[in-house]
Amino acid sequence: MTDTVGTTPAIRLTDVRKRFRTKEGDLEAVAGIDVQIGQGEIVAFLGPNGAGKTTTVDMVLGLTEPTSGTVRVLGTTPQRAVHAGRVSAVMQTGGLLRDLTVRETVTAIASLHGARHRVAEVMERTAITGLGSRKVSKCSGGEQQRLKFALALLPDPDLLILDEPTAGMDVNARREFWDTMREDADSGRTVVFATHYLEEAEQFAQRTILIAGGKIVADGTTARIQSMAVGRTVSAALPDVNGDLDATIAAIGELDGVTHVERNGPRVSAVTTDSDALAMVLLRDHGAHDLQISAPSLENAFVHLTSGATARPELQESLR
Amino acid sequence: MTATYMAIDLTRQLRDVGNIMFVFLLPLLMYLVFGVSMSVASNPIGDANVGFFVMSSMAAYGAALAATSSTGTAAMEQMQGWGRQVALTPVRPVQLVLGKVGVALAVTFVALAIVHLGGLLTGARAPLGLWAATVGITLAGASMFALYGFAVAQLFKSESALGVATGVLVLMSFVGNVFMPLEGWMLEASRFTPMYGFVGLVRWPLMQGFQVMAPADPDPLWLLLANVGAWTLIFGVLAVVGVRRGRNRQ
Repeated sequence: MTDTVGTTPAIRLTDVRKRFRTKEGDLEAVAGIDVQIGQGEIVAFLGPNGAGKTTTVDMVLGLTEPTSGTVRVLGTTPQRAVHAGRVSAVMQTGGLLRDLTVRETVTAIASLHGARHRVAEVMERTAITGLGSRKVSKCSGGEQQRLKFALALLPDPDLLILDEPTAGMDVNARREFWDTMREDADSGRTVVFATHYLEEAEQFAQRTILIAGGKIVADGTTARIQSMAVGRTVSAALPDVNGDLDATIAAIGELDGVTHVERNGPRVSAVTTDSDALAMVLLRDHGAHDLQISAPSLENAFVHLTSGATARPELQESLR
Repeated sequence: MTATYMAIDLTRQLRDVGNIMFVFLLPLLMYLVFGVSMSVASNPIGDANVGFFVMSSMAAYGAALAATSSTGTAAMEQMQGWGRQVALTPVRPVQLVLGKVGVALAVTFVALAIVHLGGLLTGARAPLGLWAATVGITLAGASMFALYGFAVAQLFKSESALGVATGVLVLMSFVGNVFMPLEGWMLEASRFTPMYGFVGLVRWPLMQGFQVMAPADPDPLWLLLANVGAWTLIFGVLAVVGVRRGRNRQ
């Protein structure tokens, strides 16, 4: 690393936008992102499919140009950072040739980086040494991801980007992947990973950036983001006495701990941090029946956090 | 681009036995059917014989086919996202294209050797120097079709890219004065097609631009070079543009 450690941000995006022309008209995949990630940080990019995560990653890697705004990586352009081997990535889709062996794949990419001396070390570290002579097409999804991880480590980058590295893996393969990843994390690298698994952010990142609809909707410590997603959904059918259901809903929305209320025909559902109290109120005061309480799904958390994203400035709290 | 990378790419292509056998044996078969069986095969033509003329023409087609097939595999690489992986290395698009062309020429050399060896064993005759010059020109000229195959692969990015590229190559060979000597307006139009310049140069050591069917109207060397130069430039630009485009998600 250079003497600029700690002063130059690993990634700086300034009002970055990316529009694509599609058959259905223009699509703004990234709709104005401003973010700065310091060197040595481990950051999760969390968001549902189609949130703009991969497009953002592609711009940071210089694979695609932003429509407007500027992207700086380690104080320079993405292309220069990539050419200097200072940034590398495990990309979400493809990236491997099925009819090469694992060792051929690593050797080929290593030779392009001028890093053939690192082949043995990197294969050892990502636990693929034993797969050396296996064809890529014969490797499991988890093994292929570890191979891609090995390729990303070849240039010994200062900034490592992982785009949905565990997509499509089963639970065991995911755990193995992150175990391998964790062993590498102490080296002081900046690691940015995109995921739609909340638990991966919890276990691995100090900071989580929540992205939806091409915008950052929350940015803070992972613990803080997590607390926003906490809350159970209580839903129940309410009798519509004298047509004052709307008033009832408004009253529920005022209760302590309730963050979101929604009406679905005769059913009302609310997100709350105190489901017991809400259930009691519903049953006792409002004659509710068919009551259900459900734990938060990530899906709900996203809906909750991203609905009216622009009208929730309190979520825009930054780490610094 | 590195020798290691190219060696791995070459090994990978040679492992695809079905495709490689087709590429290696089809031109030889065509020469054996159309060249050896001709009653005039041993008649003299310049310093060589008709058998050599037909063989060198089929070898030119074979070389173009081998080069196109080799770089045409880039379509499958793109589909698998390999272009994005390579884009994360210091290799620049031009280097990538040149590396692919280098591998293609190695494959082409084998294909050429097979046809020429077949010719030698079945009565094609020419002075050694003329023979060597013909092989050298064919190999060098084939790089233009390596660029062509690469460009088609980048533009079509599907499994059918290779079929399209080699299919169009057969058509270009028919209209390019390769398989059978053309005359009249067909010959005039032919002069603008990529195969025409290539095969004209391949035949230059023997024919010096003279046409079998139009002896009164020989091609000047500059016309053949201009043809090859222009098409090489076109295919080359398309190839490099294709690499840049291929870095986006598929």
